[in-house]
Amino acid sequence: MKKIRWGVVVAYVILAIFAIITVFPFIYMILGGLMSFQETTTIPPTLWPKNPQWSNYAKVFSQAPFGRYFLNTFITASVTTIVSLFNALLGAFAMVNLHFKGKHFIQIILLSLLMVPGEAIIFTNYSTIAQMGLLNTYIGLVLPFLTSVFYMYYLQSYFGSISKTIYKASMIDGASDWEYIWRILVPMSKGGLFTVGLLSFISGWNSFLWPLLVTNEDSMRLLNNGLTAFTSDSGSETQLQLAAATLTVLPILILYFIFRKQIIRGVVRNDLKG
Amino acid sequence: MKQNQKKAWLYLAPTIIFVTFFSIYPILRAFVMSFQSGSLINLNWTGFSNYQYIFHDPEFWLAIRNTILYALISVPVALAISIMLAWLIFSKVKNKSFFETTFFMPYVTSTIAIGIVFRYIFNGDYGMLNFLLRALHLPAPNWIDDPAMSVTTIIIFGIWTSLAFNIVILMGALRNIDPNYYTIADMYGASGTEKFWRITMPQLVPTIAFLLTMNIIAAFKVYTSVYALFNGQAGVGNSATTAVFYIYNKFQIVGTPGVAMAATVVLFIIIMFVTFLQRKMMKKIGGR
Repeated sequence: MKKIRWGVVVAYVILAIFAIITVFPFIYMILGGLMSFQETTTIPPTLWPKNPQWSNYAKVFSQAPFGRYFLNTFITASVTTIVSLFNALLGAFAMVNLHFKGKHFIQIILLSLLMVPGEAIIFTNYSTIAQMGLLNTYIGLVLPFLTSVFYMYYLQSYFGSISKTIYKASMIDGASDWEYIWRILVPMSKGGLFTVGLLSFISGWNSFLWPLLVTNEDSMRLLNNGLTAFTSDSGSETQLQLAAATLTVLPILILYFIFRKQIIRGVVRNDLKG
Repeated sequence: MKQNQKKAWLYLAPTIIFVTFFSIYPILRAFVMSFQSGSLINLNWTGFSNYQYIFHDPEFWLAIRNTILYALISVPVALAISIMLAWLIFSKVKNKSFFETTFFMPYVTSTIAIGIVFRYIFNGDYGMLNFLLRALHLPAPNWIDDPAMSVTTIIIFGIWTSLAFNIVILMGALRNIDPNYYTIADMYGASGTEKFWRITMPQLVPTIAFLLTMNIIAAFKVYTSVYALFNGQAGVGNSATTAVFYIYNKFQIVGTPGVAMAATVVLFIIIMFVTFLQRKMMKKIGGR
């Protein structure tokens, strides 16, 4: 007969409680989005909608252009991710494999920029974009985010672990730097690049303050801004707000469950930073 | 074989150009604008008057007070809970990745969307939280509509959102501890508590210091969660206003960018100071 290990039991109970606290808002969001208006305001609260109101979603789409928000968000998040990854790749390659005067200086500048809070520069960036006449445009939405010092630094640590002799050998074989980057460096660090891409896409999807500043036309809003505008307009119709929130969160949650290992591993690697 | 490969600048060019225009220039411009008054198109020098203005503005002090209160409470509480959970997952549980995946969910999801759910759960009349509190015969405050409660509400939401990152980073650190330490401790008959305080905690110090810095910086920038919880407001009667809320308000709504930038500079200095302090502390602990 096995002895019950109380330590383990207590551990599971505590973990279960916190796991419920973590997951409950997500489940409640999905269920609440399927409730009728009465069900969302009853006391005691309804947990399970009697007849799932799929029409809530139709109402959300008819009251606000969520399809357009999806498209805008997808475009901005993808463009930011692809371009910033490309720039970070080239920069990190130069910093790892090439020797040049001023490298140390550049490294110091970039490292100190890592400490600058985004909120300190976002407002002056707004006035730059406004002066360039780029408010309510895709270019305005992505321009300040087309390079990421953080991802470059991240890739530097990744490329640093690839042996320098591979670079030297390919130079001796007569490959150009450009060929080395695309034929060797990229295939060898596919995992790292993919993870960085995922993290960048997710943060682009969830961005809020910047699009709030540079867009005021409904057709140029991103999901999160559309969502807040929708919740203030729809007033007390909680079930519609929750349905809209579900629409915003679900794509990322699906992405997360497919690639959870890569995402978590990628974030843990970040802690080398600082 | 020291050489100067000038082509490196070509590869660095996109990064340097963007960083110059959208990171370095805006910092300098923020400093300059903090000494100017007028609207964005028509700025003129006013010296220190913006700084004088914010230091005499009770709303600014309320914003700073709320921000500091939020940082001082939510960061240590969230970190303590995270350490406990990470240690429990690491030492007692078999299917670690299940719990890791679960606890990490809030990190990838939109704060705005989940804030809307929390506003519903926190609702004073028909919210789930107050239903549970009433069932347990506990006081059921008006989380959203009572100005006295609004900072507490943000703190609770802040703790909920910051567990995810902490737990995953701590799990990574726990996995990196040499398992031989525990084997040897077992041989000498050390208890679980002894192992935790004598082996685990000392090994976690650098990670905890890192998380403390990251969390405090994030806490000083709190904005989105407030916006989501109070539907675009900073709580009833601005009771939950924060530093970034103040800046946004002065910049975009009131239209005094100079004042906003003076507040930005102050926030920037506070964050730099915290980072600096923490580095110093870490060096001291590390160089024991």
